[in-house]
Amino acid sequence: MARNAKQWNTPPDPNRIEWADSRIYSDTEIFEEELEKIWKKVWIPVCHESELPEPYDFRTVSIAREPVIVCRDADDRIRAFLNVCPHRANLIERRPSGSFKDGTPSGNPRNMTCMFHAWQFDMKGRCVHISRGEEGYQDRLSPKDVGLRRLRCEVAFGGMVWVTLDDHIEHSVREWVGSALDCILDPIEAEPLEIFHYHKAIIPSNYKLWHDTNSEFYHDFVHYHNRVTGFNDAYFARKNMTFDNGHVVVGSFEVRYDQYEGFESREALSFPTLPPNNWYMIDIFPGINYNLRGSALRVDLMTPLSADEVMIEFRGLGLKKDTEEERLTRIRHHNTIWGPMGRNLHEDLLSITGQGVTMRPGTEPRRILHGRHENETIHDEIGMRHYYDEWSRWMGRPLHNPTNRPAMAAE
Amino acid sequence: MTWKRICATGDVAENSLKLFDVDGVPILVVNHGGDFRAIPPLCPHMEEPLEQSGICDGRVLTCTKHLWQWDLATNEPGAETGKPLLMYDLEVEGGDIKVFVERELEYEFDDDDDYDDDDSFWDDD
Ligand code: FES
Ligand code: FES
Ligand SMILES: [Fe+2]
Repeated sequence: MARNAKQWNTPPDPNRIEWADSRIYSDTEIFEEELEKIWKKVWIPVCHESELPEPYDFRTVSIAREPVIVCRDADDRIRAFLNVCPHRANLIERRPSGSFKDGTPSGNPRNMTCMFHAWQFDMKGRCVHISRGEEGYQDRLSPKDVGLRRLRCEVAFGGMVWVTLDDHIEHSVREWVGSALDCILDPIEAEPLEIFHYHKAIIPSNYKLWHDTNSEFYHDFVHYHNRVTGFNDAYFARKNMTFDNGHVVVGSFEVRYDQYEGFESREALSFPTLPPNNWYMIDIFPGINYNLRGSALRVDLMTPLSADEVMIEFRGLGLKKDTEEERLTRIRHHNTIWGPMGRNLHEDLLSITGQGVTMRPGTEPRRILHGRHENETIHDEIGMRHYYDEWSRWMGRPLHNPTNRPAMAAE
Repeated sequence: MTWKRICATGDVAENSLKLFDVDGVPILVVNHGGDFRAIPPLCPHMEEPLEQSGICDGRVLTCTKHLWQWDLATNEPGAETGKPLLMYDLEVEGGDIKVFVERELEYEFDDDDDYDDDDSFWDDD
């Protein structure tokens, strides 16, 4: 029976079926608060170290709208800074990546230069040149007063470069991730890794809707190929596991590629110590995903842009020591399952785009059910529930009434 | 090392700069109004390759990055210029330019590579 407005807006009993008010996805005030309370307070992996392989290489990114630059110094250390000039706050570097080795039209070799008035900074963030400094500032301001804002930065978990905007963060990256990545730690840390694939998508949807999708396999029903191939008892028996700080391991199992039409076994190029054709997927709070399928590692990072827009960056990684031929095979394995024209990705993105339409800012509150209990196996929504427990803690907002505004229009 | 032939006078156009490799030593030759100077390749200010950043008007060499200047006839630095140029002895003999190279001349740039500020995050406590 279809429901009238009153019936439609009557929430289910949360003790019987867990749900969240959709304003956690659509409300712009909640979104702004998430940037402040969560995204500016946690470790975010911003790129892979092989994206800046040589001294003086750099990569520019952003965290919670703050422009960030990471660069490699002559001592091989990677450091992170706000990409903001201490003079009049211009963006210092605009290229997505490159090298400072040879200087720029207004700057000298081995420094970064703000093009506006040509102040320069070295790879340790020290100001090394103020144009006509003494003439303009006499002894009132010198380069040592105007260094860049340094950010905490650690290279960890397969060579990802993690940065936080919080100087006083309580834990190291390893403490924060805890044992959530233990299941793939040996495979991704035995050998240096190297990036071979990068693409990004800007999706009109809330970032958490993408994370939700990554934390359950109930949406097998959107994936045509998952349903017609590859299912077996082991597939359904997989358990989801929850870890401290909101992280989730979404069951692992051995993939039977022989049941995938046109696919081949990944065994010959398995990551070190990984059992043949095994697949692990790990969701790290608040929006990071590690996905290891035999011969290729995929790491996805989300950058929330607004309540209804998210940028997702997809990286594919192999072993640095790969021969050319091995690399080509890895790329084929990666692209056939995960490329933009791969097996499932377009269906996942279409799904959250549809949710993005129904949960635009200003749409009426809806009940988003995440109450499937299926013995914590892959069609159970325990991953979402675990994530939102953590989210509620950080935000201090209850899932059923996150805004303190009435959930229903007064009658 | 001793006197070395670098090039012919005609190889460096008037009021221009050209970089040569003299047995592994990089040497920049400047032709200022028909006279020649041989100097290290980098600007003494901030290590800029002068072959690209330098312009010569016949007498004065200017690094276009931050406008340090040198009178090439006297090696007098300009008013806002922090350091004089280092120069190799140079002779012109029968259309050849020769330079006396005993060792590579290099400026001292203060490079404080031991510096680190890992503890600075806690400075405000
Ligand atoms: S704003 Fe960067 S030098 Fe002026
Ligand atoms: S680098 Fe030549 S003047 Fe600054
Ligand atoms: Fe999916």
